Amino acid sequence: MRDFLELAVSAAASGCVYGLVALAYLLIMRPTGIVNFAVGEWAMLGAFGAYVASSVVQLPYAAGVAAVLLAMVAAGWLTERIAVRPLVERGAPVLAPILALLGMLVVFRESISLMFSPDPYPVPYAFGFGRLELGPLAGSYQSFFIIAVSLVVFAATWLFFERTLAGKCFEAVALNRRAAALMGINLARVTTLSFAAGAAVAGLAGVVAGANISAHYLMGVPLAIQGFTALVVGGVGRVEGALLGGLLLAFAEQLTIRYAPIPAGYAQGVPFLLLMLFLLLRPTGLLSARERSG
Amino acid sequence: MLRLSDLHASYGSAPVVQGVSLTVEKGETVALLGPNGAGKSTLLAAITGTIAERRGEIFFENENLVKEKSHAIVARGVALVPEGRLVFVPFSVEDNLRLGAVRLRGGREAMRERFAYVYGLFPRLNERRSQRAGTLSGGEQQMLAIGRALMSHPRLLLLDEPFLGLAPLVVLEIRNALEKLRKSGLTLLIVEQKLDIALAFAQRAYVLIKGRVALEETTARLAQRAELADLYFSLATSSAASARPSL
Repeated sequence: MRDFLELAVSAAASGCVYGLVALAYLLIMRPTGIVNFAVGEWAMLGAFGAYVASSVVQLPYAAGVAAVLLAMVAAGWLTERIAVRPLVERGAPVLAPILALLGMLVVFRESISLMFSPDPYPVPYAFGFGRLELGPLAGSYQSFFIIAVSLVVFAATWLFFERTLAGKCFEAVALNRRAAALMGINLARVTTLSFAAGAAVAGLAGVVAGANISAHYLMGVPLAIQGFTALVVGGVGRVEGALLGGLLLAFAEQLTIRYAPIPAGYAQGVPFLLLMLFLLLRPTGLLSARERSG
Repeated sequence: MLRLSDLHASYGSAPVVQGVSLTVEKGETVALLGPNGAGKSTLLAAITGTIAERRGEIFFENENLVKEKSHAIVARGVALVPEGRLVFVPFSVEDNLRLGAVRLRGGREAMRERFAYVYGLFPRLNERRSQRAGTLSGGEQQMLAIGRALMSHPRLLLLDEPFLGLAPLVVLEIRNALEKLRKSGLTLLIVEQKLDIALAFAQRAYVLIKGRVALEETTARLAQRAELADLYFSLATSSAASARPSL
């Protein structure tokens, strides 16, 4: 039992990271309909940013994270200006910015590979390396930190969408762009803000996950796949679905590695298996999105 | 108040509105008539900036809106009640109305005043303020769509077939509300297919045929035309004849 509870803390932390990447997808996809596979590379940028902030500039942890998040907001804003807005303004189909963002994925990854050697770079822990026991639950400081930070981010995002007029504006754009435009909602600004917020959330995922897996220029694609799987499993369209999908995926992965009588390498196939199962049996995911305008 | 001059609008390479010129004076109610596919809704989309391809001039209170984005046009005082209502069905009546006030100036006091105004006009919306818009009847959704457009405190209200698909009693209720708006001095431009409603309600009318203005007339004179029952057909025939190249 003790073994299982320790595993649960570790799985919950991984699930929260997947959930954050799924949330980054969602923040962009809901109002714009654009699937941005570059979110994994944004997480990679966040991890490298945390390395630079702590090891090169030697900022305190909180200041370093704040600086990284600000830089990620700028990266998201810039990505939207370069790869999305010119196409949207010309009335290009939604596939055009998706392909342009795949191009940005390559740009981000190759830029980092030119600036850094292919070695893993250490990303700092929030509270150092140590073990915390909370009743029957036990795990690393970083695992509890990841869970706490993720819960705060998800709660804040949920409150933003459900309780504020600005959040309703985002939802209105997601429900019906034309009706939202007729309300006087600035569609271009919503798109820019959704990219900036998505980049910040993905960057945060990279910062907190990077402490466990180190920053590496190839870390983005696996995170992008796990985040996308979490999004599909949880249900494309709901904030709480992204977290639920992430947790389900991480528990499935870790329970398979720990208890299934198969080689550990096969567990990497769990996200693909879950993705296929959900696409075949429940393509709307566990939680369905809200219906469109009538 | 509103002056369109040689306005063109298209979806991709397909031209829909082709050189429309019209005027709407302050406080006036003008009907935009025409058969299906005449370009009436596209014209409203062009005025409100929800169609990208448009050229010509759209002067509203002496400002040319033709290059303005839709959010800026709403901020200038133009609101549209779209065909099909397009209410946000998962949101409550109150949240729908709140979204209509995104461009409202004057803070909470102005917001309170607009809520009171809309609830006064449509008391049923007040009774259902916490109800999800998707659970309202068609007539109530139309009231919500009109109320939502009024939340921005517009000076020009555009209505796209506001009576379409509604029961006679609801039509009467909405007509009474629009009558109040008209008497309050609000300028109205109404797209309507049904001549009887338009003639009873508006002071002037433009008839659109194939994206062009085929006729401009006061509704009083229009009602006296002998071929009224076949108006669209006779105008379409004459416009086709005039467009045909002579040999």
